[in-house]
Amino acid sequence: MSETTHTNYLECLLKSWSTKPTESLSWLSQLRARAIDRVSTQRLPTKRDEEWRFTDISSLADLPYQPSQPDSNLQVQDIAHLCVKEVKNRLVFVDGHYSSQLSTIIDSAALVIGNLPAFLSTHASILESHLGQYAKFDNNVFTALNTAFLRDGALILIPKHTAIAEPVHLLFIATQNEVTSYPRCLLIGETGSNVTLIEDYVALQQGTYITNSVTEINLAANAHAKHIRIQRESTQAFHLANCAVSLAHASNYQSVSISLGSQISRYNLDVRLTDEAAECTIDGLTLIADRQLADTHTCIDHLKPNGTSRQQHKCIVDDAAHAVFNGKIMVRPHAQHTNSSQSSRNLLLSKTAQVNTKPQLEIFADDVKCAHGATVGQLDQEEIFYLESRGLSEVAARNLLTYAFGAEIISRIPVTSLRQQLEQTVLNQTQSN
Amino acid sequence: MSAVLQSLVNQPYKHGFVTEIESDIAPKGLNEDIIRLISTKKNEPEWLLSFRLKAYQKWLTMTEPEWQNVHYPKIDFQAISYYSAPKPKKKLASMDEVDPELLRTFEKLGVPMHERAALAGVAVDVIFDSVSVATTYKEKLAEVGIIFCSISEAVQTHPELIQKYLGSVVPVGDNYFAALNSAVFTDGSFCFIPKGVKCPMDLSTYFRINTEGSGQFERTLIIAEEGASVSYLEGCTAPRFDTNQLHAAVVELIALDNADIKYSTVQNWYAGDENGVGGIFNFVTKRGLAKGINSRISWTQVETGSAITWKYPSCILRGDNSVGEFYSVAVTNNYQQADTGTKMIHLGKNTRSTIVSKGISSGHSNSSYRGLVRIAPTAENARNYSQCDSMLIGDQCGAHTFPYIQVHNNSAKVEHEASTSKIGEDQLFYFSQRGIDAEEAVSMIINGFCKDVFQQLPMEFAVEATKLLSFKLEGSVG
Repeated sequence: MSETTHTNYLECLLKSWSTKPTESLSWLSQLRARAIDRVSTQRLPTKRDEEWRFTDISSLADLPYQPSQPDSNLQVQDIAHLCVKEVKNRLVFVDGHYSSQLSTIIDSAALVIGNLPAFLSTHASILESHLGQYAKFDNNVFTALNTAFLRDGALILIPKHTAIAEPVHLLFIATQNEVTSYPRCLLIGETGSNVTLIEDYVALQQGTYITNSVTEINLAANAHAKHIRIQRESTQAFHLANCAVSLAHASNYQSVSISLGSQISRYNLDVRLTDEAAECTIDGLTLIADRQLADTHTCIDHLKPNGTSRQQHKCIVDDAAHAVFNGKIMVRPHAQHTNSSQSSRNLLLSKTAQVNTKPQLEIFADDVKCAHGATVGQLDQEEIFYLESRGLSEVAARNLLTYAFGAEIISRIPVTSLRQQLEQTVLNQTQSN
Repeated sequence: MSAVLQSLVNQPYKHGFVTEIESDIAPKGLNEDIIRLISTKKNEPEWLLSFRLKAYQKWLTMTEPEWQNVHYPKIDFQAISYYSAPKPKKKLASMDEVDPELLRTFEKLGVPMHERAALAGVAVDVIFDSVSVATTYKEKLAEVGIIFCSISEAVQTHPELIQKYLGSVVPVGDNYFAALNSAVFTDGSFCFIPKGVKCPMDLSTYFRINTEGSGQFERTLIIAEEGASVSYLEGCTAPRFDTNQLHAAVVELIALDNADIKYSTVQNWYAGDENGVGGIFNFVTKRGLAKGINSRISWTQVETGSAITWKYPSCILRGDNSVGEFYSVAVTNNYQQADTGTKMIHLGKNTRSTIVSKGISSGHSNSSYRGLVRIAPTAENARNYSQCDSMLIGDQCGAHTFPYIQVHNNSAKVEHEASTSKIGEDQLFYFSQRGIDAEEAVSMIINGFCKDVFQQLPMEFAVEATKLLSFKLEGSVG
């Protein structure tokens, strides 16, 4: 793929942007203008870039690049099977565009929830101080693109000392092929708040399209958030996602991300522990087959003392699929008493499956406890033998162990019906004959 | 406790003296003429000159690598003298005729050049600046068919072996510094262990950089034929200069069926002063090819010196059932930077590799472990175990781990673990409770931390390494 094609790709994107009407709100248009500026100075990453060494996205440049247009003939019954029954507040975005008829908002008194444009005038100063502040686009062309095309987006603001019992569901549905959608999400947890957020990417049919999503999460002191992210796009789609999380004093962020779909998917998760005693738990499961490629890059940045982070990432790779994991843990100078652990475990189910994993530690403080581990391999022969000795056939034993490998991550999802649904998915995908 | 550790770490460099010796130095700069000059001076055959020129042409097209986690001013390759040799008075017939000034230098360094002084019976090849000055025990080794001499001598006496193996593991265009070395290498050690021979003694090379403004580019080639085995040691020191000196070496190991090569290094180049002025830039390419079935290559290194270390001793496990090992201790202090690790490339069936890496950083230094474990689709039942532990002393230093794990075969089993720790107050308290003072306690804890690696060193080297470490870290804990 030549350099010129890449430039053309981005140029075409920009051209399609300039035809859009400009917004009246100056800070927002400035933010967009800055992002456009950045896009024009960048190019699509290639395998020569260290961050993209194993993920070749050159085929992206061959795809149609038009931003998706709102086209919502979807009815509530079309998406009934995607709803999670514990959920009271649900925001639905069809190809990145907000659909008010599919969304249900019940607690509008307890929290601020809805589509971004609706709050531009009422919550201007809050939005200005958060939107685009965590997901930096200086060196990330996809975040820059998303910001440049920023229109609709989910906004969730949990007021001080408010706990929302029912999870909030963000449903991003792809219905059109050969388009790019730019989902955007901002979660602000004020002091002492507590929320569970489900971010769910689904497709209603097979097809090639691009999802370029950006999620920003800011938790103030003592705020808690559970973030469940499910990527079950069409297996021909491209999913490029960035999530930036900023944690204040003694806040707690727990994330479970499940990656099942897409031809090529890339998920960047950046968590910054900006004040003391912040905690985060990050779990991930990648379950892919055929010729899928799933790439997860995480960076946990300990900036202040007494932070805690735990991370477990698992990949189950079948057929000729390829899983990539890069987990970086930074411990900045003076972030003493940081306690951090990371584990990357990978299961290869076929001869042609591939895994590239790189757990990376960068430590600049001496009084810390940091450990990481990585394993790649097959199922343990002894475990299989044990199950066989209990009367299971070898195939049944393998299926059971493979399922259990993935189910460990699924079991951390705090929403019962969603957990059961995903357990079923993992079960179906791990049954071989 | 901090004062004790501080003084522990900040021992002065003992090998920083310069020997006043008349040297034959080539003019500074690098061009084809210099390469021809080196080749003529060494009376080399035509094919070796063209090997050098090919490497030089390749080098010109390459750019200096930037991916490593070290920072240093750009090297001016035209300001380096690529050839420096002690002026020979006349052809040497025996050890007694070696320049007494040189002998004194090596006595000061504790290198047993006199055969009678070689307690444990270690055969030594001594490289001073760019050339080999003496090799001991040659005849005794020749009796069993072992060739152990400087590489320039081997070019004259065994050109067929050199031509066959030189550049076969590290090709001329392998990387920037390897290409540079291939173009201008001046000397190094050559060792050939014929079929079925177990080398009766440890072989050793001692490297010394003496002249200011010169670079050292040596080349080591070790070949172990079917069923042969050898243990090889390498030591290095340099005088104290305020300018940085470049050391870009290439080491190639080749192990045929059932052969066994063990390569140990204690690297103690001058590391610069406490402000990071001066010191050696150590950019080294070391690679072993486990070519035959059941062959084994083992690297052990203790890296304490150099302002910058950039070195990844690697194993290509091509033969079925071959084994690769890497044991490393890297100690950095003051403003030293080390980016070191290994590559284990599994190609053959049932290949196994073990990586044990220990990094200790103190002062303002940074040490990185960068490793690659690659299981090719052909490597059935490959197995790897890696462990890399870091210890930080003080809060100004950094420790980094960059392990790349690439698995393309599902029968492989790869494990990696890493941890970071410090010397805890409670550990020191426990020692003092037993009547052991902080200084000794620190030295014992560090030795315990490095034990897995030191165990792999030959006995004399293990003793030296232990001493070196306690000097190096004297006064740094606090």
